[in-house]
Amino acid sequence: MNSAWFLPRGNLRGIAVLVLAFLLASPGPSMATREDALIPFENAMIPLQKYSSVRAKALASTYRPELSNLFEHIYYCLPWLAIRKQTLGFPKRVGAQGDDRYLSVMIDVDVNDPDGAFAATPRAHRVSAMLSRYGVHIMRQMVTMTTALSDPNVAGVGVALTWSMPAAPGARPIGETVALFVDTSSLIDFLGGRLPPAEFVNRAKFTFWEGENSAPAVKVDIWEDTFNTTYKLKNYELPKGYKCN
Amino acid sequence: MRTIAIRTALIAGVLFLTGACASSDDWGMWRSHSTHFASGEHGFFSMRNNKDGSNPKVYRSDIEASRQENWWGLYAITVSPSQIFQN
Repeated sequence: MNSAWFLPRGNLRGIAVLVLAFLLASPGPSMATREDALIPFENAMIPLQKYSSVRAKALASTYRPELSNLFEHIYYCLPWLAIRKQTLGFPKRVGAQGDDRYLSVMIDVDVNDPDGAFAATPRAHRVSAMLSRYGVHIMRQMVTMTTALSDPNVAGVGVALTWSMPAAPGARPIGETVALFVDTSSLIDFLGGRLPPAEFVNRAKFTFWEGENSAPAVKVDIWEDTFNTTYKLKNYELPKGYKCN
Repeated sequence: MRTIAIRTALIAGVLFLTGACASSDDWGMWRSHSTHFASGEHGFFSMRNNKDGSNPKVYRSDIEASRQENWWGLYAITVSPSQIFQN
């Protein structure tokens, strides 16, 4: 039996033409648009109802448009990074007394290390390289793309970076993580070249993780790295009209 | 007769070598995603780009989808954000 038994035969061609025209006219999956970032942005933000203080909720509401811009920069301009779900916002440091709020984000880094050379370097080097390449860039964007750090209710910034290490055969890969919290004035002085990297590291508070467990502290060095502003991903296309600085 | 036995042994050997490295978790993942395209996004990406790989176009949404659908590998064990941040 013809499945379109309820339609006159003459209409079928017309309907087929309409469907084809709709498919051709629809942007669908064949174009990148800035709307693509809306759902990922909502996923990245810490939901307002999850904050435990009025101060944090107020900060998250006030600076939401700026966090959206920061998110878009990371989402479109740094496609090798992914913001961990519900980590963009104004949390506290775990274990900290009081209600000091930090402009924070947790980021998963795609490591391009086919020959395992990076994984073979000492852990102190891996941590330092990640902070130098991605941590500093993200903190700089936090300073330049938002005004939140001039708010007296914001104590500073917090950035956590996670990357996967090669797994042994049959085992799940282990992610290494470093988290850094630093006060606003130290960060601004460091980015402005008025605070040496070693002093910046002294002032920052670090935690280190291997998989789900805390890991011993390592000596952190920070050096200049221009990867994020110079590297271009082959065949990668930005949404129409969007520019990365 | 001998040729048939050799062929059978070869086929069995290839099947063993290609499947023996997969754990039960891997097989479980594979069984629950046995279609040709992993997802609609995967299918659209394939249709949008040339089969021979010439002139590909990759959008951030493609990268995001591939991250979320990496069921063919197992997820890395990492620290939970709640061990670092307190809302």
